[in-house]
Amino acid sequence: MFELSLSFIERGIVAAMIVGVIAPLVGAMLFVRRSSVVSESLSHVTLTGVSAGVLLAQVMETIPMNPLYIGFGFALVGSLLIEKLRQTFHHFQDLAAPMILSAGIGLSAVLMSISTAGYNEWYDYLFGSIISVSPSDLRFIMITAFIVLLIFYFFQKELIIVSFDEEFAKVSGVSTKGMNFLFSILVALVISMSMKVVGILLVGALISLPVAASLKVARSFRQLLVWSVILGEVAVMSGVYFSYHYSIAPGGMIVVMSVLLLLLFLLLPSLMHRKQEGSS
Amino acid sequence: MKENDCIDEVVRVKDVFFQYHGQPVLENIAFVIKKGSFTGLVGPNGSGKSTLIKLILGLLNRRERGEIYLFGTPLEKFKQWSKIGYVSQKANSFNSGFPATVFEVVAMGLYGKMGLFRFLRKGEKEKIDEALNTVGMLPFKKRPIGELSGGQQQRVFIARALVSEPEFLILDEPTVGVDAASVKKFYQLLLKLNQEKNITLLLVTHDIGVMTRYVTDVLCLNKTLHFHGTAQDFETSDLSSVYKHDVQLVTHEHGGFHT
Repeated sequence: MFELSLSFIERGIVAAMIVGVIAPLVGAMLFVRRSSVVSESLSHVTLTGVSAGVLLAQVMETIPMNPLYIGFGFALVGSLLIEKLRQTFHHFQDLAAPMILSAGIGLSAVLMSISTAGYNEWYDYLFGSIISVSPSDLRFIMITAFIVLLIFYFFQKELIIVSFDEEFAKVSGVSTKGMNFLFSILVALVISMSMKVVGILLVGALISLPVAASLKVARSFRQLLVWSVILGEVAVMSGVYFSYHYSIAPGGMIVVMSVLLLLLFLLLPSLMHRKQEGSS
Repeated sequence: MKENDCIDEVVRVKDVFFQYHGQPVLENIAFVIKKGSFTGLVGPNGSGKSTLIKLILGLLNRRERGEIYLFGTPLEKFKQWSKIGYVSQKANSFNSGFPATVFEVVAMGLYGKMGLFRFLRKGEKEKIDEALNTVGMLPFKKRPIGELSGGQQQRVFIARALVSEPEFLILDEPTVGVDAASVKKFYQLLLKLNQEKNITLLLVTHDIGVMTRYVTDVLCLNKTLHFHGTAQDFETSDLSSVYKHDVQLVTHEHGGFHT
């Protein structure tokens, strides 16, 4: 197996590269759908799932089970729950996200203190730890990435039309309910796969920052996707590089690089403008 | 299929009632839209125009009573949505932060009937160019939609509705927020679609004065249907003067918001 033949550092880099492609890709779709905040609260629910998974693994030692799978399960349920809450309490949409967010992290802290794993492992999930990516984690990341790409390949058109104009999508015969469900799955997948690389608290950054920077240069939706993936990959790779050479936490470094990229792209137009004024 | 081909009714609405939070919005609505006609649906704000359109399109489905047929098929069983094009009130439904080009927006008009696996082929790209050419927006093909004026965006959305080659086109208040010069060009475009491409049109508007010069039939709505007949009959009816007065007052008040 490919994931078994790699050293721990290679596994970390491969995991980071995959996440660097998938997170901005899904992020671009979430952004145009104006639901980037949803991913933020979902990441906390995923943490609850992972904590439950860690505890479960201790209770039932005989069944080897990666906590990430249970994290994904929780993320999916949470994602569907938020969608449901948004529809039921139409006027309390803003309440649904923070409610789930705080409940998620509180429950996770309780579960973690019950388990004997200690806070080191919890810390890894909070802020990411690419050196602790196990072969089983990498396999999880590769499977989820593959599923995300499959969904994209088959339903790209439908996802785009629903994000752009939901009413027109309905009139065109596209099932908006089905597409909203697919969105929930995509978000749950991308959050649970990013967990070991950037961690729960930072995954929102990798989903939104490269996309925000790309918006400054993209002239079409296709360009937005391409730029988001390129910038996501640049942030991830440079983040890993600097964290390795200066022994800084990689999750944090990746996010800092994303912020720097965003600042650069925000300032770029005015810098170029000034240069033009200077030369004329 | 043979049976449906013989029917020259595009829409049949029969005894439709609709309530919203216990308040009656539509009462006892019944009318038929014939193939090839250009119908103007008028009425003051809050008269239920948009509700009626949403019912016809199946966007609202908690109808209290009554039946709706599209191309002779009951709405609940109707599947050929590519026969129907829809241009909504721009401001309500379009996500302006979306960085899409004019070409990408019009391409969405084909997505509904393309199905899985398929991507745009040469023939489909030509269809998109043709639709853009019809509305006079071909030179803007590669421009981001957000950079265009209101009138230009509206033309792009019509192209998006046209690209699937619909037989029936519904336009909901398409001239709101569009300048007067563009409005005239816009009506001429609609006339061209109706007469040259033989597309049946249903136009929702509160701009009654301009509308009656172009349409063949008029539907006057204010909770109930007050008038249904030809444009000439409407001009000479008492209702015309009453409505003109009412509606233009409403239009005037609205002018402040949109211009």
